[in-house]
Amino acid sequence: MHSTDLRRGLERREARLAWWLVTPAVGTILLVALFPLAWTLWESVHLHDLRMPWLGRPFVGAGNYAEALGDPRFWSALGHTGFFTGISVTIELGLGLVLALAMNRATRGRTLIRAAVLVPWAIPTVVSALLWRFMFDDQAGIVNVVLGTIGLTHEAIVWFIRPDLAWVPVIVSDVWKTTPFVALLLLAGLQNIDAGLYEAARIDGASTWQQFRHVTLPLLKPALLVALVFRTLDSFRVFDLIYVLTGGGPGTSTEPIALYTFNSLLQNLRFGYGSALSVITFGVSFVLAATYLRLLGRDLTEAKS
Amino acid sequence: MLAASCGQAPPSGATVVTFPGSMLGGEGAVLRAQLQRFMREHPNIRVVQRDTPDAADQRHQLYVQWLNAEASEPDILQLDAIWTPEFAAAGWILPLERFNPDTNAFFPVTIEANRWQRRLFAIPWFADVGMLYWRTDLMPRAPTSLGELEQEAARAKARGLRFGLVWSGARYEGLVTVFLEYLGAYGGQILEGGKVVVSSPAGLQALTTMQDEIYRSGIVPSSVLTWHEEETRFAFQNGDAAFMRNWPYPYPIMGDGAVSRVAGRFAVAPMPAASNGAPTAALGGAQLAINARSENPAAAWAVVDYLTRPEQMLERARVTGQFPTRRALYDDPALAKSLSVPVAQAREIIEHAVPRPVTPVYTELSEILQVQLHRVLTRQIDPARGLARAAAEMQALLNRAGLGPGTPLAQH
Repeated sequence: MHSTDLRRGLERREARLAWWLVTPAVGTILLVALFPLAWTLWESVHLHDLRMPWLGRPFVGAGNYAEALGDPRFWSALGHTGFFTGISVTIELGLGLVLALAMNRATRGRTLIRAAVLVPWAIPTVVSALLWRFMFDDQAGIVNVVLGTIGLTHEAIVWFIRPDLAWVPVIVSDVWKTTPFVALLLLAGLQNIDAGLYEAARIDGASTWQQFRHVTLPLLKPALLVALVFRTLDSFRVFDLIYVLTGGGPGTSTEPIALYTFNSLLQNLRFGYGSALSVITFGVSFVLAATYLRLLGRDLTEAKS
Repeated sequence: MLAASCGQAPPSGATVVTFPGSMLGGEGAVLRAQLQRFMREHPNIRVVQRDTPDAADQRHQLYVQWLNAEASEPDILQLDAIWTPEFAAAGWILPLERFNPDTNAFFPVTIEANRWQRRLFAIPWFADVGMLYWRTDLMPRAPTSLGELEQEAARAKARGLRFGLVWSGARYEGLVTVFLEYLGAYGGQILEGGKVVVSSPAGLQALTTMQDEIYRSGIVPSSVLTWHEEETRFAFQNGDAAFMRNWPYPYPIMGDGAVSRVAGRFAVAPMPAASNGAPTAALGGAQLAINARSENPAAAWAVVDYLTRPEQMLERARVTGQFPTRRALYDDPALAKSLSVPVAQAREIIEHAVPRPVTPVYTELSEILQVQLHRVLTRQIDPARGLARAAAEMQALLNRAGLGPGTPLAQH
């Protein structure tokens, strides 16, 4: 009797201590994650324009959201973001897979190759964007020189003033920079596959393609999905790369949603409208992440059973 | 905070005035020297300089944050030409009539740019103006009309020069200043009262001319649509262009034969007009204003008054090449010795200066215009539709801000 009381008291004290111990962590999360989110939500339902203080700071309900939905620049920014994400992630996954398979085959200098492959990924985005900007410069850039030398073009292409061609440097530099990340992720996945499975497949008379199709791909699916989730969410928030390379131009034809939000929020100082844009971006990313996580979760459980 | 170290220790009990002026290079040196002289003459006032970013956007953002937080410091603000109405409408800076400034001594246009609702809110410190650089070895005189400019540019190009004319056409504020000059050349305006009038026939002619110069006559390379001031300077300085539209700053640099291939072979003139307009120079530059919440407005005014005196302007002109805003100085032989641009031309250009639309929402207005101008010039939309769209969006912005036609704030 006495001892159970003591134990209960101890448990209670331990529970209390545990709460005290997690308080800083929970508090920090509330402070750095939830508080800004709540604040942004609050801003997004108010008219708050630092440049027009005479308008005050009235509550406008869904007014900012309605403005965004009726704003062609918002829709085209969303479209650009989707376009950029779709194209670059597809290329990155394809190329990354090829690279990973090649690296998996390499027997000599594997560590060196892996380190070398990581170099583009290690360069800060702003630096690599500037690098590509110089390479695609119409006057002195190497891209035009190469295209001219091999006879593909007769005149220098001014990449950044064509709404279609301006995407080329953007996508090329993103692919160059992030394919290594995908490749390494997939390489890890490949190395987890039991070599015995290939042996068994060979004994059963499977061709290389059949081995790839029926052994490698299914077992690599979790790694592929992880790469897909990371790259999609990353691309969806693309900002620095395009900010440096094209500034969203020509006109606004390469402007992604993050750049438009930045512009409204920090250039035009429209806190209300900019916050509404941020909330929408957050919402779309959240839905994307949730969808992927469901896919990923199901796949992981399937793989286990 | 950084105290401007002066020779003697300031007496205790001195009034402290804070001032975030430009502190880089020659500009910083001349400002420090002038403030030290000021403090020697006014031992009861101590001026403390504050470090601020030199990039206009960043400085603007910082000011807005300070002033929104109702800070009483800095006491003095260095404003870009286009910020005065914004800060005035927000109630962030003091109207200056109480100090009886001698407004007649300045070029009227520089005063006009600093008025909001008929009250003066800042004193023009120095002026920046858009001008045409032309090659004296390629033609006998500066073109007197836009048509002549285009002909000369085409002729120079036909003789093997890479570019006829270069201007800064990237999507940024510089593009609007270039457009403003073409617009003036055809007699057009961007804003009239609270009404956007940029999609007028004059606006259409101006923008069509700019587009044709790139794609029809080809005198302007399409690369300019990614260029800022510096890229145009490189092209002209390397001898690749017959004409350049730029500000005064390249003048002394390009006169240096060590870096420039056109040293001694160029001159400046106002951007010429078409038959229905007037030569136009976009007005830029810096103004000095006083924080409305300053605890020492009188001392702050003493500093502003001192820095905008003729002697200080002359010294600034000598060290930085910046144009004084006082009219009488252009008759002073001392200015001829100080300024690298010949005074007669400097005066002619500044007399053709036009402020950008004087409205508290200028920056946003300009952004809308930048996007549509750039879309037209990169041929994503035709000039008429681009201008119509810009006008509609700009008008919607003015209306939303309560600055549309017929509203009390529109009466500028």
